[in-house]
Amino acid sequence: MVKSTYQPSPSVLQPLPPGWTEHKAPTGHTYYYNADTKESTYKRPGVAPPPPASAPPLNPHEQQLRAAPDCPQINLSDRPSRTPFMAQYGQRKANSTVAIPGCEPWILVYTKYGRRFAYNPAKNASYWRIPEKLMPAILELDQARIREKAEGRAPADQQQTEPGDNAEKPATPAAEQPDEAAHDYDSSEYEEVEVTDDEDAEDGQGEDGNARKRQRTEESPANDGPAEFTEADIAAQLAAMNADYGDIEMGEGGEDWEEGDEGLPLSDEDARELFKDLLNDFNINPYSPWEKLIEEGKVFDDARYAVLPTTKARKEVWEEWSRAKIQELKERRAKEEKKDPRIPYMAFLQEKATPKLYWPEFRRKYKKEDPMKDPKLSDKDREKWYREHINRLKLPQSTLKADLKKLLESVPLSALNNQTMASHLPPQVLADIRYISLDPKIRDPFVEAYVQGLGAPPEAGEAAEQEDDAAKKARDDRRKWEKALEERERAVAEEKRRQEKRVQYERGRLRDEERELERAMHVGKRGLQSQLVGEKGEAS
Amino acid sequence: MPAIRPASKRKAPPDGFSDIEEDLLIFGNKMKDAQNTPTDNIPKHQAQWPIFQIAHQRSRYVYELYYEKEAISRQLYEWLLKNGYADAMLIAKWKKQGYEKLCCLRCIQTKETNFNSTCVCRVPRAQMKEDQDVQCVSCGCRGCASTD
Repeated sequence: MVKSTYQPSPSVLQPLPPGWTEHKAPTGHTYYYNADTKESTYKRPGVAPPPPASAPPLNPHEQQLRAAPDCPQINLSDRPSRTPFMAQYGQRKANSTVAIPGCEPWILVYTKYGRRFAYNPAKNASYWRIPEKLMPAILELDQARIREKAEGRAPADQQQTEPGDNAEKPATPAAEQPDEAAHDYDSSEYEEVEVTDDEDAEDGQGEDGNARKRQRTEESPANDGPAEFTEADIAAQLAAMNADYGDIEMGEGGEDWEEGDEGLPLSDEDARELFKDLLNDFNINPYSPWEKLIEEGKVFDDARYAVLPTTKARKEVWEEWSRAKIQELKERRAKEEKKDPRIPYMAFLQEKATPKLYWPEFRRKYKKEDPMKDPKLSDKDREKWYREHINRLKLPQSTLKADLKKLLESVPLSALNNQTMASHLPPQVLADIRYISLDPKIRDPFVEAYVQGLGAPPEAGEAAEQEDDAAKKARDDRRKWEKALEERERAVAEEKRRQEKRVQYERGRLRDEERELERAMHVGKRGLQSQLVGEKGEAS
Repeated sequence: MPAIRPASKRKAPPDGFSDIEEDLLIFGNKMKDAQNTPTDNIPKHQAQWPIFQIAHQRSRYVYELYYEKEAISRQLYEWLLKNGYADAMLIAKWKKQGYEKLCCLRCIQTKETNFNSTCVCRVPRAQMKEDQDVQCVSCGCRGCASTD
């Protein structure tokens, strides 16, 4: 049906009656022309000469139309239910309109997404919610659709024989498609938003501008309301509706959020929690700025975005959330044991390093890799290890094995013993260059065998003996301090003793002196005489 | 707004940089784009507006991370300032009362201006005429008074 909607019926094979000739229209359709009667028709004149009624004569205007190279086929047999515009643009499967039988000015407009609204071109009013008075008519219309669909392609055969209907066929599925979609979510069809049109002037203009142009191409008797409702108008209507709609949804200070939420008012606390939930679910980076969240706009589509009424409130909650989240992340990180940054680099070296690449080449080639970017390692160290590793790769296997054995022996029994799993080797082994320089295929069995041969993990008492260097150092220091203190105490005591001795000695001397003085002061009755006698005796 | 030093010419960043690296990269790319867009068909005084704005946003980002959310360490904050990720002079102003939302340093410069006063964006919204919409000449700010 891409080329032409016209399919010749079986009777076509019969020769044309005299006077008729076959021609091809620029659109690809074959038509027949009778030079005598100046008659032209799409329908092949059969054995029985076609009655003039079945092949309607075309007026000059229509002939012109058919001859025009770009003019699409238009259904001229008029149907009140379809606008001529539909026949022309039905292929787009986009917006479509259906006049509602019985309620004349009203039409039903299907949007691209299968939703529909009622539109009254006379009053220029549109409603998502179908007005009460239109309900029965629309229900009838829907039922007719379903029935038509159930009947399937039966009518299609009929249409094939009628060239007049050809142009209509593309329009039919187009009109049906949104209908099917609309049936799937019935609830969304009857929404409670009334859209009053503020942009009358604009709409009117659009209608004039677009509809008049289309009208020129056909002369349908149903030229009133529905006929003038063009795609541009649908777009304008939708835009107007969306403007109102969008304002409500994104509204800064709007008090109604989503239509569904009107029934259950959320408490402030709940709303905040919901919004935080949303942030958690979208894996928002708590370190990112608020503007990024807004710019990306991922969260707008979620219903939980609308539980908070204003952007200001949202930002507040976001701030609170991000603060808590960052704190949580910090705590988690503090709990995690620190990993030696050399381990991933060494593993990376083992995987990628090759003697074919010099260090600058290697660095350039893998500069995007995580171990190469790790800020905890300096570039100098990385280079040193790379060179060392490359040099070691050239050594014979036996040397490498011996080195690895030496490395394993240097690890204390508490860290490496027969209960160590091969996947959980101690970090001092994993971070060593000797561990990676041996090919894993040889190394892993070797290490496993070595581990098997080791003794059981030491007991707690023994383990206490094998302390970390740091602890040992601390203990040594302490001992040293204690010793120094003891020495000092001893020195002090000695000094004290010496001082005491001196004091005692001084005290003894003082006592002697006092005694002498006392003796000197002791004068008898004879007093001076005795002394003088003494002196005399001495003198004589 | 000194240029950010290239990664190869600077000290390794302190811990926690990897958390904010991505967002800083986005800011950096925005800044590069702003610097490279041609300014042929825009008024001369507007040519540097986007650059001022991005510099403000980035400084604000760092400021909030350190002072409000306390998400980054002091070392990292100082490292960021030293490496030009944020404008220390501008942040210094934000800590002062009345300057909490200051858009740029040029807007509080009173010397060598036409009326020897600060920029119009420093005027509180309440004191402006009704519906008067202004954008300041130096950075395109629409109002950065603390009361707004």
